[in-house]
Amino acid sequence: MNTPFKTMALAGICGMAAAAAQAADDSRIAMIPGGPHPYFAAWEQAGADAVRDFGIEAADYKVPQKWELTQQNQLLESLLSQGYNGFMIFPGDPVGAVSTAEELAENGAQVIAGAGCFKDPSPAAFCLGTDTGNSAYLGTKELLAAMGDGEKRIAHFTGFLVDPNTQLRIDAVNKAAEEAGATVVQVIADIDAPEPAEEKINAYLAAHADEVDGIITTAWVPAVVAANALRKMGDTGIHMVGIDHDEVVLTAIKDGVIDGTMLQNPYGQGYIGTFALDKLRSGCTVKDDAPFASNALTDKFIDSGTSYVDASTVDSYIDAMRAESDRILKDFEATYLTCN
Amino acid sequence: MSAQDTPSAPSPNSSTGDGRQTWLRFFLSNEFGLILLIAAFIVIFAVSTRGFLSPFNLFSLGRNSAVNIMIGLSMMTVIVTGGLNLAVGAMGVCAAMAFGWLIEVLGLPWPIALLGGLGMGAALGFINGWTVVRTGLHSFIITLATMSIFFGVMIFLTRAESYRAIPDVFSALGKMKIATYLSPLLLVTLACALALTWLYRFTVTGREMLAAGASPAAAELSGIRVGRIIILCHMLSGVLAGMAALMLVARNGAAIPSMAGQLGQDWLLPAFLGPVLGGTLLQGGKVSVLGTVLGAFLVTMLSSGLLMLQIGAFWVQTFLGLMLLIAVLLDKARRSYLTRRNLA
Repeated sequence: MNTPFKTMALAGICGMAAAAAQAADDSRIAMIPGGPHPYFAAWEQAGADAVRDFGIEAADYKVPQKWELTQQNQLLESLLSQGYNGFMIFPGDPVGAVSTAEELAENGAQVIAGAGCFKDPSPAAFCLGTDTGNSAYLGTKELLAAMGDGEKRIAHFTGFLVDPNTQLRIDAVNKAAEEAGATVVQVIADIDAPEPAEEKINAYLAAHADEVDGIITTAWVPAVVAANALRKMGDTGIHMVGIDHDEVVLTAIKDGVIDGTMLQNPYGQGYIGTFALDKLRSGCTVKDDAPFASNALTDKFIDSGTSYVDASTVDSYIDAMRAESDRILKDFEATYLTCN
Repeated sequence: MSAQDTPSAPSPNSSTGDGRQTWLRFFLSNEFGLILLIAAFIVIFAVSTRGFLSPFNLFSLGRNSAVNIMIGLSMMTVIVTGGLNLAVGAMGVCAAMAFGWLIEVLGLPWPIALLGGLGMGAALGFINGWTVVRTGLHSFIITLATMSIFFGVMIFLTRAESYRAIPDVFSALGKMKIATYLSPLLLVTLACALALTWLYRFTVTGREMLAAGASPAAAELSGIRVGRIIILCHMLSGVLAGMAALMLVARNGAAIPSMAGQLGQDWLLPAFLGPVLGGTLLQGGKVSVLGTVLGAFLVTMLSSGLLMLQIGAFWVQTFLGLMLLIAVLLDKARRSYLTRRNLA
C-alpha cells in the first residue's frame, strides 16, 4: 500500500470511527479478486483500515493463485469452511460465480460484488464497482478532445476477451468514436498481462505508428506498456489516454508523454465494501427502494467512482478519489441500508 | 486398477512364496503408496486446520475431486497410446459450450444436449486422432495446435458469452448433497472409472489400446489396426473431457468460455498429475485407472488442505509441481527396485 492511499484512507475515514461501536463483533470478511492483478492490491490496506476503524474481527485480502474460476471457487469454499462469513468478490465469471455465491449465502454468509458484478439474479446484496462502459466512453471523449481537429484514427488496447467488461469497453469506445466522426482502426484485446501486452502493442506500434493518431487503453497492463512504448518512441504526435494509477502511467502524464488516465477507485471499493458487509452481518438489510444504478449485468449497481486525470490534476489525483470515497461513504448507510 | 502390470492384492490360494511376492509387489505399487499418502494427509489436515472435516468441506472436496479425476482419466486414455492430449481443456470447454448452445439457442431438452456435448468432445477427439495418424506427427504437436484452434473457434462463435439457460434439474446435480457431504458428481466419476477398468481389463478393444501403446509395430504385426485404435483413444479422451466440463457446467449453473482458463490450459496440470502419480507410463502400454483416481484425489485434497492451512495460494501451485517431479523420480526408483528384485 503506498503512502497516498494511506493518506487518503486516514483523511477520509475519521468520521466513521463512531460506527465501530455498531459493528458485528464476529465479522470475518474476505475480499477475493478473480486472480492476481495489481488493480486489487489496494484492497489489502483497505481491509486493514476497515478492521481498525470499524472494530471488525478480520477483513482479509485473499488472492486465487491464477485467474481461473475454479481456483476462485476452491478458495471461496475453503474460506467458508474456515469460518469467514462476509465476502466481497470480483466474480471470476459474472455468470459462473453465481453458483458459488449462492452456496456461500445458503451457509449464512453475506455476499457483495466488488470491482465487477455478478449477473442478475444473484445473492449479492449489490455490486460496488466502476461503470466500465462509461469510463471507457468518457476516456475516449477526453482522448478525442486532446487530439484536436483533423483526422482521428484510434487504436484501442484492452483486456481479456473472456471478461464481458471487455466487450462493454469496446462498444463504448466505438460509440464515442462514432459520435465524433473518428475511426477505431485497431482493437487489440486479450492483453491484460505483461507478455502478450509487450509483444502485441510494441509490434503494432512498430508497424503502424504512422497510421494512428490516438491510443485509448482500457486495461491496466496495456496502459503501462503503451505508455512505456510512447516514451521510447519519442515525439510521435500520438495522443493517449490510459486507465488506472500505475506509477508508470502517472509519470508519463507528468512528463507529457501521454494526455491522461481514467482513474478507478479500488481502495474505496475495499473500504466501503468491508463496511457494508459488516453492516449487513449486524442485521442491516438493503433498502427495497435503494437508488441503485443498472449496467449490463445487474440492477443493483453502485458506482465507486471514476475521474479523468491529466497533467494539471495528476499531483492531486488522490484528492479526486478521496472525494469519491467520502461522497459514497458519507450517506451509504442512509441511502442503501435499513438498520434497526 | 492397473492393467498389464497389475499390482493386485494377494490371492488366498497362492502359495506362501508367491503370496509374499504378491504382497511385496502390492506394497511397492503406486496405488498403495497413494493410499498411505492420502491417509497421512487426512490426519495432518484434520489435526492442523479448522473445518477440514466439516460436511461442507468434504462435499466440496468430493465435487472438485470428481472433476479433477475425470480430467486425469481423459489424459490417461491418450497417454495409454504413448501420446499426449494438450487440448484436453479446449475440448472440454467446446463440449460444454455446445451443450449450452443446444439448450439455449436450439431449445433442445438437456439429455439430448448432453449427448450433443459429449458428441462434440468425441468429434474433436476424432480430429485430433485422425490428424495424428494421417500426419505421423507426435500428438504433442497436433494437440498443441488444435488447442488454440478449438478454443479460438469457440471464442469466435460464442463471442465469449456464457450460456446460462441451463435447466435447474441439471444444475441441481452440482449442488446436490447425499448424506450432507457426498456429491453425486463423484459417483458419476467413479462409475466412469469402473467402466474404464472394465474396458482395459476385460475387453479386446482395451487390450488392443494397451498393445498399440506398448509397441505399435508389434501390435500392427499382430493384426491390430493401430491407427484406428489411436483415433478411438482420442475420441474417448474427448468424451471424458466433455464429461468433466459438463460436471463443471452443473457446478457453475452455466457454460462458460473461461471455465478451463485461457486456451483451456488450466486443466493441463491436473490432467498430468493424476495419471503420472497413479503410475500410468508416459511411454504408453500401461495404465492404472485406480492410480489415476487416487492420484487426482490426492492432488485435490492437497490443494484443499494447503488452502485451509492458509499457506500462500501461490505456493500451492509450486507444491503441486514439486509433487509431480517427486512422483516421477519415486516411480523411477520403484521400477529400478522391482527390476533388481525380479518383481517387475
